[in-house]
This record gives sequence, C-alpha cells and structure tokens, in this order.
Amino acid sequence: MATRILFRRNKLMNIFSCRAQSTMSAFEIQHKTPLIKKTTPIPVALYGGRHAVTMLPGGGIGPELMSYVREVFKYAGAPVDFEVIDIDPSDESKQIEYAITSIKRNGVALKGNIETKSENTEVISRNVAIRNELDLYINVVHCKSFPGVPARQKDLDLMIIRQNTEGEYAMLEHESVDGVVESMKVVTETNSERVARYAFDFATRNGRKKVTTIHKANIMKLSDGLFLDTSRRIALEYPDIEHNDMIIDNCCMQLVSNPHQFDVMMMTNLYGSIVSNVACGLIGGAGLLSGRNYGDHYAIFEPGTRNTGTAIAGKNIANPIAMLSASVDMLEHLGHLQHANLIRGAMLKTISDDRIHTLDLGGTAKSTDVVQRVIDHILESDIRP
Amino acid sequence: MSLISRNISKILFQPCQITAARCIHSNVPPQNAAKSESTEREGNRIKCTLIPGDGVGPELVASVQALFKASGVPVDFESYFFSEVNPTLSANLEDVASSIERNRVCLKGILASPDFGYLGELQTLNMKLRNALDLYANVVHVKSLPGVKRRHDNIDCVIIREQTEGEYSALEHESVKGVVECLKIVTAKKSQRIAKFAFDYATKNKRKKVTAVHKANIMKLGDGLFLRSCEEMAKLYPTIEFEKMIVDNCTMQMVSNPQQFDVMVTPNLYGNIVDNLASGLVGGAGVVAGASYSANCVVFEPGARHTFSEAVGKSVANPTAMMLCAAKLLNHVNLPLYGQMIRDAVNKVLSDGKVRTKDLGGQSSTQEYTFAVIANLKPPQPLKSKC
Repeated sequence: MATRILFRRNKLMNIFSCRAQSTMSAFEIQHKTPLIKKTTPIPVALYGGRHAVTMLPGGGIGPELMSYVREVFKYAGAPVDFEVIDIDPSDESKQIEYAITSIKRNGVALKGNIETKSENTEVISRNVAIRNELDLYINVVHCKSFPGVPARQKDLDLMIIRQNTEGEYAMLEHESVDGVVESMKVVTETNSERVARYAFDFATRNGRKKVTTIHKANIMKLSDGLFLDTSRRIALEYPDIEHNDMIIDNCCMQLVSNPHQFDVMMMTNLYGSIVSNVACGLIGGAGLLSGRNYGDHYAIFEPGTRNTGTAIAGKNIANPIAMLSASVDMLEHLGHLQHANLIRGAMLKTISDDRIHTLDLGGTAKSTDVVQRVIDHILESDIRP
Repeated sequence: MSLISRNISKILFQPCQITAARCIHSNVPPQNAAKSESTEREGNRIKCTLIPGDGVGPELVASVQALFKASGVPVDFESYFFSEVNPTLSANLEDVASSIERNRVCLKGILASPDFGYLGELQTLNMKLRNALDLYANVVHVKSLPGVKRRHDNIDCVIIREQTEGEYSALEHESVKGVVECLKIVTAKKSQRIAKFAFDYATKNKRKKVTAVHKANIMKLGDGLFLRSCEEMAKLYPTIEFEKMIVDNCTMQMVSNPQQFDVMVTPNLYGNIVDNLASGLVGGAGVVAGASYSANCVVFEPGARHTFSEAVGKSVANPTAMMLCAAKLLNHVNLPLYGQMIRDAVNKVLSDGKVRTKDLGGQSSTQEYTFAVIANLKPPQPLKSKC
C-alpha cells in the first residue's frame, strides 16, 4: 500500500508532466519526467509534398509484402519515398541502431516483423528495442470486419489500444535463487495516464461512445490496480464517454461470444497482444489487420498481429492486405487522405466485392492476384492529384 | 517533319503505356484488358503552374509545350505572365503563389531582376515568390552531358543551396552617409533544415558524400552556425561521408578537380556562385536544370539563372535546361516513364551532335533543336524488356 500512497503524492506533478511537456525546458523534462524519452526536434522529411519514410521489410513474408506496397504506391501516385533498410537477423545491434536513427530522421516508418533469432538473454527482441528506443507507448489495432470475408463474427468495429513499452515487456528477469525465476511487470502512472488519455481523446475525436479498460486488478492489485485507477481518474475528465472495466479472462470470453458490446478497449502490454490476436481471429485472421504504434514524436505502421510468416515466405500465398492497410494508415497519418482513400477503396472492392481471397481466407488467389486487382481498381477510379 | 515524328512517337508510346499498366507481374495474365483502354482520362491529368519568365523564357517554354504535346504527357499548364521588369502586365504575386500552392508543381523560366527597384524596394520579385512559398532549398544537379565536349567530363554533383536567408535578407541601410550596412542573417532553424534536406537528398538518391561549403574562418558566428548545424545533422547519417570546405578553396577545386564533389550544401550567396561556376563547367546556363523545394511545393527552373535577353526573338537559345526541368517535373509527379522518355531523347540528340544550338558550337535554331528532340522520342527501353 505504501507504494500506492507514494504514487498518489506524485500525482499532481505527473499530471503537470503529461500535459505541459512541450512548454517545459530541457532541464525540467530531464528531471520531472524521467519516463518520457528526451528528444531534440528534427525537421520533418517533407520536400515538395513528398514524404520520406523508413521501410523495414523485416523477415519472413516482409520483403514480398513491401514490394507489393511499393507497386501499389507507384500506381496510386502516392507521394512517398521509401528509405529501405534491410536488417540481417543474425547481425548484432549495428543495423538496428541505424534503423532507429533513420526513423528518428524521417519520423515515420512502415515495418514488417523483424526476427530475433538469438535465444541468448543478452540480445533483446529487436521489435521491442525499436519501440522502447523511440518511446512508442501506444499501439492501436482497428478491428473492422470486411463484408464478404468468411468470419465468425459480422460487423465488428473494435478499437484496441495497448500500452506498448512497459508492463510484462519490461524485460527485467532474473534468477534470484537457483530454480526460481522472477519476471518483473512494471506499470507506471505516467505511461498509464498517457494511454488512458490517448484512448479517451481518440474516442472523443472519432465519436466513439464507450471505453473499456481491460485488467487483472483482482490478482495484481497494485500494478494493474494502478492502471485501472489511472484510467478511472482520466475518465472523470471525459463525462460524455462511458467508461467501464473488465477482467482479461472474462474479456476474452466475451470477445468470442458477444464482441459487439465493445467499442474502444485499452489495456496493458501483454493483454493487448492477446486481445488483438483474438479479435483478428474473429474477423478473418492475421492477414487483414494493420497496427499503428505512436509516440510523441514518431509513428510506426505494421501488420496488426506481429507474425513474420516465415513458413509461407516466397510461396506467393501471403495475404498482402494487412501490409497494404498499414501503408494506408501511414498515408492517413501523413495527411495524404486522397491517396489513402483511393487505395483503401480499391482494397475493399477487391476483398468484399470481387472476393479475391488468398489461402488464409479460404480462397485460392495468389498474393499477386490480389495486388493486381487492387491496382486495376486504382487505375479505374482515376484520381491523381 | 514535326507532324510525322509527333504521330510516330504517339503511336509508339501509347500502346506501351497501356501494356505497362497491365503487366507489372509477368506471371499474372492481364485480366479484362479492355477496361483501361484510354490512357488519358480526365481525372488522370496533372495541373501545373507555368511562369514563362523574362528574356528567352517564353521561347523555351514554347518548345517544352511542343514536346509535351508530341509525347502526349497528361499535364495541363496554368500559365501566368509574371515579371518584375514589366510590372504593369505582371500577374499578382498572391495569385501566382496561390496557384503554385494549389498545384504543388510549377515550371518557371527566369525572372529578370533590375539593378535598381522601381518602387525603392530591396526585395526582388524572385525573392518575394520564394519567401511567399518558403521555397527554401534550391537543388541544381550538374552533370556532364553526352556529346558536349568540355574541359572536364564525368562531372556529377548536386548543389543544394539555402535561398531564403543569408545575404539575400534584403536588409540594407545607410546608417551614416557613405556607410552602407547589409545584414546577412543565419538562423539555426533554417540551417538545420537545409542540412537535413541535403542529407535526405543524398540518402534518397544513394549519394555517398555531403560537402558543406562555408566561410566560417572569417564569419565565425554566422557561417559558424551554419557549419555546426551541418555537423550535428551529419551525426544522424552515419552512412554518408561528411566534409567541409571553405568557399574560396571550393571554387578552385571545382575548376581543377570537379569530380571529387558529390552533394554540396551551401548558404545562399555561395550557392549562387558555385551553381553558376559548376554550370559553366558542363556547358552553360542552357543545359543545367534546377528545382526549388518547399515543404509542399516544387518550382522547376533552369539551374543557372540567366534571362539571355539579348537573344529574344532570334531563336538561338538552348531549350535543353527547360526540357530537363520538365523531365524532372514528370518524375516528381509520378510520371517517370514520360520523364525518362524526354531525357533519353535529349541525350540522344546531344550525343548524335548533328543538331546543336549556338551555345554548344552548332548552328541550329531553338525550333530545329526542339524538332530533333521530338523526332527522337522513344518509349523507354526497360519497359520493353518487362512486357
């Protein structure tokens, strides 16, 4: 309990830190918000209306999906120049550092999943390293059903918002006594508040009605309790939006039996991983959804469920929709709405009207068939700014 | 002659564009090929602001328009007469700026700047336009052309110039009679911005080295700030070599050993000088293309800014620079095939060496040169192998 009280005492200061970050001096940022990564502003890479974007193809099906994205962008005339950085999974940390620098320069990245082959405890997951280094504290997966795709549930429209940098993924594990391993789950008020604030702001901006906090505070009373308390406190500032909470095990059951009760969901790291995979499974699998990672300064877009798909690499059967829709999210983030709508429309027509489905959706089409049809739709709808 | 060649190139080119759209994946059979039969649909066309400029500008622009017409480029021009030496007929700065902002691309000739202002203003029209649109980065790609014999060959350098501050601040005053002060402004923000532009340009175009040109040994604070900003930015680009060079040494190196340069980043005035110097090395103002970038718009204009007003109406000016600008423009607006086609045609005419304008030692007129380029328009080679 002592820790909880301590947290409460710091509350005022923390509120200040989250709100007024931009107006604080470097000294204040350094000393009052130790959890928020310090960055010096770098000018955005936007020249003559064209954005430079880092592309990390990653392993498995990543490279082929990226080539589809580039093909589609070429035909859609999307004003984006990619800086492609291949990361060799066996190589040590040099290239990952370069990739992080490149994202810092460009501000935005499109990313496949990067393999971490090493089981060595010294080597941390590259994906986690990127997220932590860039302080991408929010992960958003928008689970929206595609009409025409065979799936367990119809007309789903969930927004899953996940804390992305701490919790179970703090990577603090040790063997204190021989045969006893302890893994630390870290929850901080600052990060919980940032997530809650993002969730409620998102709900307000997009006309959503309800936010559900997913937790396990009945068992982990302090850590998940803090997350839950913070979300309740922030909820008071948004009286228009209904707030409730649900325990993770119940949530999973509800998701498969009655998912329509959910609207916006916010949760800690591991639960987010589980829930977004469950939700993806409900609407048709890993090949459809995209995920977005946001920090204060940077954004990374990737397929929603983080699988490399090494088994199906090079066979021309991977579903290109997930990566394409990640790239559309990226265009929206960059403000190229016209191109984003153009590609999204073409994708929807391909999936829902023409029903060109790859193997994972029970179809027989090759990846290239899907991409070709998307390009055909783009060429037909003749919008070029 | 021109009519025939125009039709031939049209016939050659159009089917190839259609097939190009169809066969990006050679293993996929073209489905319902009839759907995109016409390549020119209304929504597909690109609008571009056109400022012919002073001097020979209108003649050069006319030959670009002829070239576009012959190659069926889906670009529509929105032209404005814009001139400082003819203020009564000139369009408003606001109209021109808002047109460029809307279209996001512009093809521009050179505006003459009189040595003294009619209105007693210190800012020239060029500077006003740049400031209105915040066109902060000027990029001039100086590249040896095939068939143009000069003292040096294999020159391939890019000069990136900050063009909204520095010596061009237009802040001059006479504090005491006989003493004039001209302020050179350097800000950290704009220096960082141009440095990042240069490094991003180098990254995008797979260049190896960035050279910062400065005079920080004399102007320790002003140019020193510029130099420090470049150094800081260089740390973010570990794969690109960074070096610095003092402007006087740089000009000497440029005329003695220009092949050593790759990408150069310079403040305003030095950039202007180095631009012109480098352009002179590869064939003069008539053959070097440039572009000015802001965050949202690009203005394509010849790299060395000379109006060549003594040649007005004589049809002797070299339209190569303007044609290369047009090719760059097409690349920028996602029509790289057309851009490549124009660039190939220009290279072909230059390397054949039969049709040359006066500045390159030939006798041909602007029109003859333009027709020669049109006659050489061919669908680019890589396309054929793909289909």
